[in-house]
Amino acid sequence: MKVVQPDEKVKITLKINGEKYETEVEPRRLLVHVLRELGFTGVHIGCDTSNCGACTVIMNGKSVKSCTVLAVEANNAEILTVEGLAKDGKLHPIQEAFWEHHGLQCGYCTPGMIMESYWLLKEKPNPTEEEIREGISGNLCRCTGYQNIVKAIKSAAEKLSQTQYPHPQ
Amino acid sequence: MYPPKFGYVIPENLNEALEFLEEHEDAKPLAGGHSLIPMLKLRILRPSYLVEIRGLPLSYVKKEDNMYKVGALTTHYSITKSQIPLLSDTANNIGDPQVRNMGTIGGSISHLDPSADYPAALIAMDAKVKVTSRKNERLVDFASYDKDMFTPDINPGELVTEIQVPTFENYKFSYQKLERRAGDFAIVGVAVLLKLSGDVVDDIRIGLTAVNNVAVRAKGAEEELLGKKINDEIIEKASNRAMESANPTSDLRGSAEYKKKMVKVLTKKAILNALKR
Repeated sequence: MKVVQPDEKVKITLKINGEKYETEVEPRRLLVHVLRELGFTGVHIGCDTSNCGACTVIMNGKSVKSCTVLAVEANNAEILTVEGLAKDGKLHPIQEAFWEHHGLQCGYCTPGMIMESYWLLKEKPNPTEEEIREGISGNLCRCTGYQNIVKAIKSAAEKLSQTQYPHPQ
Repeated sequence: MYPPKFGYVIPENLNEALEFLEEHEDAKPLAGGHSLIPMLKLRILRPSYLVEIRGLPLSYVKKEDNMYKVGALTTHYSITKSQIPLLSDTANNIGDPQVRNMGTIGGSISHLDPSADYPAALIAMDAKVKVTSRKNERLVDFASYDKDMFTPDINPGELVTEIQVPTFENYKFSYQKLERRAGDFAIVGVAVLLKLSGDVVDDIRIGLTAVNNVAVRAKGAEEELLGKKINDEIIEKASNRAMESANPTSDLRGSAEYKKKMVKVLTKKAILNALKR
């Protein structure tokens, strides 16, 4: 049994976008803070109460709100952030689709929206509009730009089905 | 927002976890954390230690002896994929996709929010909850486990380890939830299990959540349907009587009067929806 005392730090290893990182954290530190401190500032802090989804990342293949995961819980996990989607300077098809369909206004929710879309399209490669709307129900766009986000996800689904794009991870 | 300081314990097996929890009454088990971590941030709780139980082998769904046995650490996501009558549909109504990926059934019923979704299904299904301590293991009916709001029948040093529900083969079912906004807790939640022989109601179970301190069966509505030929008139009568079992309080999700009326609307919707399956 491993016991970390309240004032102690604990060493954790994270595999972020395919690369290994080691860092020391207090048990109370949240995954979102640690990711941002390691330079992954595409992971946004929005509401900080697991409502808005701006902090969504993929952890061990599933989308999670990183403001409600302790960094120590994520020890040895594989994390994918929005920074890990583009390959060799080429945007991921979901990113392309958001660009082409103007799936963002202020852009604050965008990394979370894109990561949740990534998970949604892995689960349901050919979603209906209703499934898309349900799929992003944990992500809020305060510009209320949902129409184009939904269009972008639809288009991303088509792109992904045509190109057999290899998913990272 | 940071949680307050706490120590962190990673046990290697269930026994170690139970031992630590027994010896440290102010320690808290951490499963999916989707109720616990927000409560820590808001300083509603200040545990001395969190005990990470997520790694323990309590994530499973087994079909045995006409029962589904669901490990306490099974996520809502895994339950939605398990095709358990009523329970899988109910799980699919919890929170949003990210929450369902982390949250667990054991965590949810240990927290026991009176507006949570599972209790409606669990009370309708006559679920049993396995509660384990270092020296003892007991199987409790969900109806007596659900003592009061946020008050499950769990003593210090005990953990919920399994939930058992009958298979309800050949039943029709539906869970209907009214929410203020997508992903919120229920304003009213109604779970229905219905068995017909021909067009006569052979068995009917209606569970209500969010309209009492604990989940309840809508006995009056069930009485109205049981043994009768199913038709619009009887469904209307039963839905009306479902309101007898609701004693909601006014809060930011709606007034007591509104919630009570919504019990009728959602009961009708749940019965009609179940009949379509």
